[in-house]
This record gives sequence, structure tokens and C-alpha cells, in this order.
Amino acid sequence: MTKIRLPASIWTVGLFLVLLVFPFITKSQYQQHVMVMTLMAAVTASSWNIIGGYTGYTSLGHAAFFGLGGYLVALAHNHFGWHPFISSWFLALIVAAFACVMGWTALRTQGSAFVVVTIAGVFILRLLALNLGDITNGARGLTQPRPGWGGVPWSPELIKIPFHYIMLLLLCLTIFVSWRIRQSKFGMGLIAIREDEGKAESVGIDTMMYKVLAFGVSSYFVAVAGGIYSYFFTFIDPSFVFGIFTSVTMVLMAILGGRGTLWGPVLGAFIMNPLSDWIIGKFGGTQIHLTIFGGILLLVMLFMPQGILPAWTEFLNKRAKARKALTGNPS
Amino acid sequence: MTIPSFHLFVQTLILGLLVGGVYALMASGLTLIFGVMRVINVAHGAFLILGAYLTYELFQNFQIDPIASILITMPVFFVIGWILQRYMLSRIANPEKTSVLVTFSLALVMEGLLGIIFQTTARSVTPSYTSEALMFATYRFPVTRLIGFGVALLIILLLYLILQYTNLGRAIRATTQDPRAAQLMGINTSMISAFTFALGVSTAAAGGSLLSIIYSFNPSSQADWIGRTLSIIVLGGMGSIPGALIAALILGVMEQMTAIVITLYWSPIVFYFFLFFTLIIRPQGLMGEIIREKG
Repeated sequence: MTKIRLPASIWTVGLFLVLLVFPFITKSQYQQHVMVMTLMAAVTASSWNIIGGYTGYTSLGHAAFFGLGGYLVALAHNHFGWHPFISSWFLALIVAAFACVMGWTALRTQGSAFVVVTIAGVFILRLLALNLGDITNGARGLTQPRPGWGGVPWSPELIKIPFHYIMLLLLCLTIFVSWRIRQSKFGMGLIAIREDEGKAESVGIDTMMYKVLAFGVSSYFVAVAGGIYSYFFTFIDPSFVFGIFTSVTMVLMAILGGRGTLWGPVLGAFIMNPLSDWIIGKFGGTQIHLTIFGGILLLVMLFMPQGILPAWTEFLNKRAKARKALTGNPS
Repeated sequence: MTIPSFHLFVQTLILGLLVGGVYALMASGLTLIFGVMRVINVAHGAFLILGAYLTYELFQNFQIDPIASILITMPVFFVIGWILQRYMLSRIANPEKTSVLVTFSLALVMEGLLGIIFQTTARSVTPSYTSEALMFATYRFPVTRLIGFGVALLIILLLYLILQYTNLGRAIRATTQDPRAAQLMGINTSMISAFTFALGVSTAAAGGSLLSIIYSFNPSSQADWIGRTLSIIVLGGMGSIPGALIAALILGVMEQMTAIVITLYWSPIVFYFFLFFTLIIRPQGLMGEIIREKG
């Protein structure tokens, strides 16, 4: 029997333990709120990384799955009384199926054309959400009842805690799946597609099948996060969830941390999300937020396109090599 | 759903064609840049809105006519485009893959800065002839759209003449066809790239001025405009200026028809629909070549 070696280092175990007790470390509602949003951001960025990082297809369309997940969960909650903590997991399967159909057509295009198609996909869904007012309540968005369980609302002081743990669970699952994919033959195939799709096909990889599956898996966790998000805020705004900015944040975090690495997107989320909250708190206004976010993405693309983690590994390797050369003694 | 009468149908066709001409100008710069550099300048919509705001400021503060202000904004945009290409875009390591994200983030920065400087209230430029219209056999021809159509076609014609009959134009076309061969023939392709990008961005200045008299705008409208112009160049065939012209007229008419037959709110879907399905069914568009890119 082969032993499954978990991607555990002292850092990741430490991080996990801190996150596990986080709601007991701080009683601040604000800090708890930021942490829930950071965990959510890490989920979406890690999930995006499966198609955007491993497979190399830059999707700016993942806001579509986030929004769709949110809408389905909100509608099911309001009409059938399905609790979002449960319904999110399986309603996201519908979103993933939709993503596979969309991916089956969109993934025929490559490079820049793929980016443009995915942007168009988000715009189409936003237009539908805005215009199908009978179902979606149009531009006013959908509201949900106050979070609770079995008809009893959670007390306002403790309300962030259930969300903290369900997001942490979702993040662990996302990272686990992302890690399993990376170790598997499937993941190797995806990386082969990223490096050279033509060659990948010629060695017998069913590239279309691989890409569609990666797209579907990558949409699933984003959709679950969208469902829980809509319950967390008890409100869903079509212009925000189906906004290109929602897509960009996932892409930015994954690229900043290091696209195609397991922990890069998580690192990116833990940098960008608190930073973005700080920016809003300090300067207010979406305009400055937009400028700074765009500016960071621009700088990363120009000066560190590989991201923080790969740059750091490269730095460590170089230093080790230099040290070896200096002492002439491999240790 | 309403079936328009014949009169309304023709009137809609007229308005669609007039607005399509303006769309063609807006898209021409985008398709030119793609043709030469294989770069999709997603910031094009933001440049259109910047052009509209400059026109607005010149009109409000100095009473300069929006059409006349094109003569001021175009050279300014040319310089901006030149600098951006020389000092930013030319540094990108793997342009076919990453240029979209770079120009996209540029668009976000521009939208944010425009919002900080000009606020987010919707504006429009209203010269004396704003609500005038010429009547021709019971059909209305709004003056702003007539002017927009005329100016747009004039600038596209100039662009065409430059590309077709000057040495510079020949160098640009040679670079479009085969950058390596062009370089071997002694063409300074990096200069050509800078010039093309500057030229493409400067058409956005003219497009922005026309936009400002026909539509109202605010910083976030840049997303609508990049959606429209991208759909046009994709349908027309990326890199083809005649293709962009035809596609712009088709989409202009389709948009107006949708607004009449269904409602105004649904009309943007025409663009995204065409964008999505052209790329999937016929990636080369109406008049373009198949874009071969490594994924």
C-alpha cells in the first residue's frame, strides 16, 4: 500500500491550527468577518488555479460560477427552505455541470480568445440576472432570511463562527482536491496541456476531456463559496457577483501567490484580502480600491509574472547554490 | 415582443447604420493593434471614456466644439499610446499569453482614476445641435449621429489610405503579415509596433469625442464599450479593418432592432452573443484569418 504523503509542513500545520482556533483568539466581529472573507477568497483562488494555473487557461469568467452558485442557493432557500450550509454542496454540482457545457464550447478557443469568451460569459449571465426580474428580482438583488438553524436565528455575537468553520472546511477540501489533482496522472496531463497542447495531444491525452473536467472541478468550489457567500451576507447583488471585478480578484490572488503552485493562491488570498479591507477602511470608495487592485495586478504582471512562491523558491535555490560554490562542500 | 411597422423598421435601420459607423471607428484602432502586435488592448474602452471626458472638459471650460476637440485629443492620445507601448507593453515577456491581463489591469487603473478625478455621475456633451434632426421623406436623421457617422468614416478612410499608400503603411502591413520577414527586409518592427499602438489609441480619442455627443458615459461604462468593440473585431475577423467596418454596421443595426423588437435592456446581449458564438463557431470571423496561438 502506498502511503499518502500529505502536503504538510510545519507552516501548513501551524496555519491550520491558528485557523482552527481563530474565532476564540479574537472576539472582534470585524476581524472574524475579514477572516471568513479571506478563507472564501483562498477557496476561489485555489479553485481557479486548477484551470488557470495547472492548465494555463486564464479564465476571467469564474464570477459567473460564483454568482450562479449564490443565486441557486438563495432561490432554493427562499422557495423550498433548503438550508444553504447543505444545499450549497449539491447545488454547486449543477453549476459544475453548466460549467462543463460552457467549457465544452469555450475551451475550443485558446490564449487571448479564451479570456475574451469567458468575459463575454460573465456579461451574458449578468444581463440575464438583471433582466429576468421575475426570478432574480432584477437589479435589486435577492435577500435571504437571517442566518440560523431550524428556525432559530444565530445570535449576532456568534454569527460569524459557523461561517468561519464551513469556509475552513471548504478550503481544506479545495486544497486537498487541488493537491490530489496535482499528484495524479490527470494533473500531469493538465500541466502537459499548459506546456504544449499539441504535444500533449500527440502523446495520447484527450485534451478536450481533460480541459472540460478541469474547468468543471474548478467551477465547483467557486460555486459552493458563492452559495455560502450569499447566505453570509443574506443578500446577493447581480452587478457585484456577476462583475468582472469578482473574477479579477481570484485571478490576481492566484497570480500574485504563484499560479500553478498548490499554496500560491492561498498565500495570495491571505495577502490581498486583508489588504483590500484595509484599503477600503482607510480610503473608502470603490474607485481607489479599483485603482490599487489594478495597479498591483499590473506591477505583478510586469515585474513578477511567476508570482511570490516560485520567486521565493528560486531565490532559495540560488542562495543554496551560491553557498555550495563558496564552501565547495555539498551538504 | 413587438413586430415593427415598415416605417419603424427603416427608421431603426437608419439609426443602426449611423451608429454602426461610429462603432466602426471605435473598433478600428483595436483591430489594427491586434493585427500588428497580436495584443488585445482591453484598455481600449477606458481610452474611449478618457477621450469622452477630455472632450467634455474642453467643451465645458473652453467651449471647444466636441468635433474640433478631436484635433487636440488625437495627438495627445498618440503620445500616450507611444509611451505606453515603448515603456510598458514592449517589456512583457510572453505577449500572446499575458498581454490581455496587462491591458486589463491598465483598464481597471484607468477606470479607478477616472472615477477619482471626474466622479461617477453620468455625463454627456451637449453642443447646440444635440437634439436637432434632419428629416428626409418622413425619416429622422439625428444631427449628432450624422456628424458622428461622417467623421468616423472620414477617419477610417484616412487610416485606410495611410495603410494602403504610404511607406509607413506598407511597413505596418508587412509586419502584420510576417514580423520576422519584415525585420529581415530592414523594417524596424519595434518602432512599427509603437507607431501602430499609438495610432490605434489615437483613434480612441476620436471615438471618445463622438461617443460623448451621442451617449452619456461614466467611468464604469468602459466595460460596456470594450464589450462592444471586442465583439465587433471578433465578428469582423481580428486584425481586419474592412471586417470591423462590416461587423460594426451589422451589430449597430442588430442592437437597434433588438431595442425595438424586445426592449432596450436586452440590446447589449446582441454583442455578447455574437462574441461568444463567433469565437466558437468561426474563430476567424467574417474576414480574418484563423488565429493560431499556442495554448
